[in-house]
Order: sequence, then structure tokens, then C-alpha cells
Amino acid sequence: MLGGLLAAGAAGLPGLMQRGIAEEMRKRGKQVCFIWLDGGISQFESWDPKPDSPFAGPFRSIPTSVPGVHVSELMPHTAKLMDRISLIRSMSTKDPNHSTGVARIQRGDPINRGVDYPFLGAAVSKLLGAPENGLPPYVSIKPGNGGFIWQEAGFLGSKFGALALGDGKPPIHIRRPDDLSAESDTARNTLRRLADARFKSGRRESEVDAWESSFDMAEKLMARKDLFDESRLRPEDVQRYGTHPLGRHLLLARHLLEAGVQFVKVTSYHWDSHGDHFNTARQMVPAIDQPFAALVSDLEASGLLKDVVVVLMSEFGRTPGINSRFGRDHWPDAWSLAITGGGVARGRIIGKTTPDGAWVAEAPCDVGDLFHTIFSALGLDSKKAKYRNQGQPLPIAHEQCKPIADLLA
Amino acid sequence: MADASPYDPSKAHFAPEPLAHDRQLIRARYSSDGSLLAAVGVDKLIHVWESATRRHYTLPGHATWVSALVFHPKTPRLFTGDFHGAVHAWDATKEGAPPLFTIAADRDNTRALAVTPDGAHLLSGGDDAIVRIWNADSGAPMREMPGHAGPVFSVAAHPDGKHAVSGDLFGRVIQWELGSGKVVREFDAKALHTRKEDFIADVGGVRCMTFSPDGTLLACGGFSNAESNAFCPGTPLVLVFDNATGAKKTELRYGFKSDGPVNGLRFLQDGTLAGWGEHQNGPTQLVFWKLDAPEPFHKVAANSAYDLDLHPDGTRLLAPVFKALGPGGNGALRKELREKYVAPGAQLFVCNLFAAPAVQK
Repeated sequence: MLGGLLAAGAAGLPGLMQRGIAEEMRKRGKQVCFIWLDGGISQFESWDPKPDSPFAGPFRSIPTSVPGVHVSELMPHTAKLMDRISLIRSMSTKDPNHSTGVARIQRGDPINRGVDYPFLGAAVSKLLGAPENGLPPYVSIKPGNGGFIWQEAGFLGSKFGALALGDGKPPIHIRRPDDLSAESDTARNTLRRLADARFKSGRRESEVDAWESSFDMAEKLMARKDLFDESRLRPEDVQRYGTHPLGRHLLLARHLLEAGVQFVKVTSYHWDSHGDHFNTARQMVPAIDQPFAALVSDLEASGLLKDVVVVLMSEFGRTPGINSRFGRDHWPDAWSLAITGGGVARGRIIGKTTPDGAWVAEAPCDVGDLFHTIFSALGLDSKKAKYRNQGQPLPIAHEQCKPIADLLA
Repeated sequence: MADASPYDPSKAHFAPEPLAHDRQLIRARYSSDGSLLAAVGVDKLIHVWESATRRHYTLPGHATWVSALVFHPKTPRLFTGDFHGAVHAWDATKEGAPPLFTIAADRDNTRALAVTPDGAHLLSGGDDAIVRIWNADSGAPMREMPGHAGPVFSVAAHPDGKHAVSGDLFGRVIQWELGSGKVVREFDAKALHTRKEDFIADVGGVRCMTFSPDGTLLACGGFSNAESNAFCPGTPLVLVFDNATGAKKTELRYGFKSDGPVNGLRFLQDGTLAGWGEHQNGPTQLVFWKLDAPEPFHKVAANSAYDLDLHPDGTRLLAPVFKALGPGGNGALRKELREKYVAPGAQLFVCNLFAAPAVQK
């Protein structure tokens, strides 16, 4: 069935899927689009402007489609969709460093038990179970190199790692060479599996698992080369999302979600604006506003937003104070993120910062609360569900945190 | 000038007790007779000090950060521009008085203002990439000069009163004939712009420009070779051009570690060029170059500065300088510092271009 649907997409529905198709595809289960602005987007220049604060930047605060809620003028597209997303304006986390903070946040910052928790994508893949649609469950679209990032699997085992598409490109050698027949290719892979099995016998899990996983994913993708066929892109979609990397990558993310990839992570680097923040924010924030709004609009129009949780966040926000290079530094004390889709309520504003924007005034949220909320929005009981790591039951999110009730529909 | 010491920029030093303000200041300028100095920044107000008495007062200001400031060359009229595009004209002697006129805030950020030497025309440049000429008496629009492809960061009027230059984010400098609005020539300052393959923003730009008093030279300041669009660390750089031909005559550098743009440049009476800019998390220096050497012959240590002006008598420089007023740097678990966490401030540094008086023993 899925193959037929995808064939229909390739034949004439490369853009917004017909609602009926979306209904069928929804049977695949819940999905996630996790958009990661690495380095830390400024809450002042995005979701929580404070124009009267001594820490305010120079940009205007503009009204949104939710009465009384304002965002930065750098986000005009998302402002019109505010009734279709929700914000947490009271994120308060612990780690001010990128080197530890990125992994800590993407693992949900659980209580330290001496084990490496999985990143969110690996966790979702494990907890929901990978859909049987012939696609890798966890795909990461990122600038730079691609590959298989087994480290994100943590204690779940390397097969839950992320298949990374460097610059949104398919893995190299996705096309079988012409001089290699399908039969020879199959025989070659069979031999490889036998060799892997022999190597693994008597050993505990090893990197061979990661290699096997990457080979398996490569095989799956070789059957789905159409996903990377840029000739399928509608020019109007390319314009709506933007031709810059974030635009191209979020458009690819939409295609992967439509095709059934369970968890798509889109990473954008260089948001760590310690210098020249206001000149770069003026370019960078619109570069996420436009494709983010397009993605949410498209997922809603196709009906997929009911089952696709979309999260837009960083490892922390940026300082209220402006430094000597007119930059903002790291600020985990009070920051914002956007979330929608799946079981997430829309148009809600969770928490509040102080009038100057520096501190959380109401409803502080830890990333553990966010993980509970995401898992709940995906239909999991985050308080009861457990991982088992070598027999040890482990909570799937920080046990002292809880789902954000006001954020769940 | 009250001091009898002879002009000597090699003896340049900061005057004691700089004026202070509890918010960051971006621009600072002397009035045409030196009797006033004005500064603007993130608190939206226009701050004016009387030079002789240090009396401070404010003009009611703008709706957002004030990003541009210039005095009329013959009167105490002051022009200010902001990040929402509004330009106001003020009588700087009238404390609290409303603007003389306002040019509507219907465009992007006004980043730079200049007035022609005869005081007749006001020039503006900003994020909409258009250089505009206004009647400096009334604010009436006179000419629009499109030509840039990105934000215009700086404008300067040529001493002949007939030409001006504008510099943008991409290092493009255009020389305009004001009477016709035609492009005369371009100066290649692309070294002041960086966009690497993995960047998600353009970095740098022509942050400041100044003509030599005789108009033969144009100096453009900024920074080159930015390593990222996040910290934006680069190499401060000044490009000096022959105004008549557009040919680059020399490149000037600091000769010491500093990572931000040169934000202010001024030619002094003996041909010395003074420059000052930003540095991340530490002091930098006000520097003085002779144009026949690439590195400065004199430096004075100080914090980051965002502008530079020369007193009409030519004996002192003025700059708004960064001043931390509380804890800075990254956050996290700093609740104990919460009461001390305040926005940074500024100091207005005056640099005397003569020897410091001997200390009496």
C-alpha cells in the first residue's frame, strides 16, 4: 500500500499530499520533526521580545494571530500562524556550555546514572517502534558531512543511531553502479552479513552493529532514491521555504515526513551569536521563520500535523546583557521554544519571563518536562514507560519532571 | 582648546573622568563649535552634555535604539536616526524639546547619516540599500540613490560638497555625484566582508568611512576574514583609497590581537589616521597610523568603542566606549547574581592629542 502511495506522490503529488493520502499515511503512527538551531537562538529576537526591557534589542515586537501575544518582527510568517503552534517561554535549564549542553538537552538531561541516554530521535525510534515502511526511522539533515551517527543511540545500541544526510544530500553511492548486477549486489550483502555474524559471535554489541545498521539503511534508501530527486520539487515550494540551507533542509524534511520517516532532525549551525548579534539575527531569524512557517502550514494542510510533533529549539537562549561585541552570550536561565503537532495543544503560551526578560517568572520548565510532554504528545505514558538497559529499568525522562499539562491537547 | 601643550598625536592620552552612562552608547559626536557633545544608543534617548560644564540633559528620543547621529556643520542642529528607520532633527541646545521635524519611520533601520559641508543636505543610508538626500532645513526628500545590494552601513560627505560615498555590508563603496545622483566610481572594499560556505549570515561590512581634510583620501574601516558568523572573530582592517581614481593606496592593521571591526576613523591635522573598534571580552586599543606604515605608531589601551569623532579644534577625539556594570558572560545557576545582573553601560572617552601635563610632585 505504501509503495502505491509513494508512487502516486512521485507521479503527480510531490507537493502537498491529498488529504486522503495523508489519512492513509497517518496509519503509520506518530512522527517528529525536530528542528535544532545549534548554538542558541535569542529569545529576545524571536519568541519573547521585551521591547520595554533594558535588555531589549532594536527590533519591533509584532502582534500574532493569538490576541495579546507578540513576537519579534523578524518572524512575520510564524506570527501569522501563532494560533497553530505553542510556545514555552519559561525554559530554565542548567548547562551553559555547548560542549556538554547540546547532548544533555537532546538526551533530556535525565538523572545521571552513569549511562548515556539516547538522543530524542533514537528514543522515539525505540519507544514507538520503527514503522515498517522501508525507510530509516531516524534521519538527521545537517550541514557538512553525512554518515551514520551511532553515538546518538546511547545505551539503546548503535542500530538506533541517526542516518545523517550531509547538506541534505543522499548518502554517496546510493545508486548501484551499472556494472554491478542486482543479483551480485544481493550476494555481496549476504556474504557481508555472514561475515558480520561470525565476527559478532561471542562478542557483545560492537560497532559492527552500527555498520550493519548503516548498510541496512543504505539498502532501504537505494530503493527510495526518488526522495532525493530535486526535479520533483515544485518551484513555488522552493521559494516558499527559501533557497538557503535551512529552507532546503526543511523542505526535504517535509518530504521525508510525508514519505513516512518517523523522526527527522534538521540541524542548523552557527546560532551562537556572541558577536555582531543584531546584524546576523536580522539575517538568520528570518531564515528560520520562513521555512518553519511553511512547514507547519503544509503539514496542517495535508492533515499530517495531527500526528507529527514539530519542535523548534536550541540548547539554551541568549543573555539579556549585550556584550562588548554587541553579541549575546549563553543563557540557560530563561529561554523559549516552539512546539506543535501531534497531541500538542495549539496557540498556548506556557510560562512567562520577568518584565525585563531575564528570568523565569511563572511556570519554569526543564528539558525533562519537555521530553515528558513530547513523549505524551506521541501517545506514550512518559511516567510509566521504561527503557531496559541490560536488565535495568530506566525512566524515559527525568522522573522528577512531568508532562506540561497545559500543553497537551 | 584650553591646554597649551602642542599638538602631538604620539603623546595621545585619555582625559581623566570620562562621562558615564548606565546604558550602552553607539554614537557620539561634537557639535560644530565643540560646545556640546551628544551621544545615542540603546536607551532611545538623545544625550547632550555641555562641554564646558559637563551639564547633561536629554532630548526625547526615539522608539528604539538610535543608530546614527550627526551634527549640522554650522549650527547646533542635530540629526539622529534609529533602527526603525525614523530620522529626527533637533535643536540640541533645547533640553527636552520635541524634534524640529521628523522623517517618517517607514523604512528599515537608518544606520548612517551625514551632512554636506554647506549644511544644505542630509544624507541617509540603511537596511533598504538606498542612499537618500534630504533637505537639511526641512527634511523634504530630494533624491533617492539606489545602487547597493544590501544594508548601507556608512555614508560620508566629501569636503567639496558635491560628492558623497556610501559603504555596505558586502564591502561595496559607491561614490555619488549629489547633483545628479549618478555613480561616479566604486571603491573595492570587499575585504571588509566575509561569507564562507558554511556561514548562515554575511559578516562585516564597511562600518565607518572618513575623508582626509583635503578630500584626496578615503579611509574605510571594518574587519576581514571573519572565522564564523557566530562569534564573528576577524581581523580589524582599514583600507585607504585615492578618492580621485578609486585605487587602493594602503591597508592598515592593528598589529595586535583584536577581533572586531574598526568602528570609527578620523584623519588628524598632520595626516595621521586614528581608529578604534571592538574586541570580544577584553580591552582593545585606540590606534594612530601614519599612512606610510601598515601598523600604528601609537596605541592607547581601552575597551571597545563604536564611533570616533574629532573635536572641531582638532586636538581631541571622542568615542562611546563599552563599560560593564555587572556580571557578564554566560548564564546558568547564577541566581546569586540575579540582583547584580544589569545591562552594560558606556563611557564617553576623550583622547587628548597632546602630551599629558606633568604630574606635580
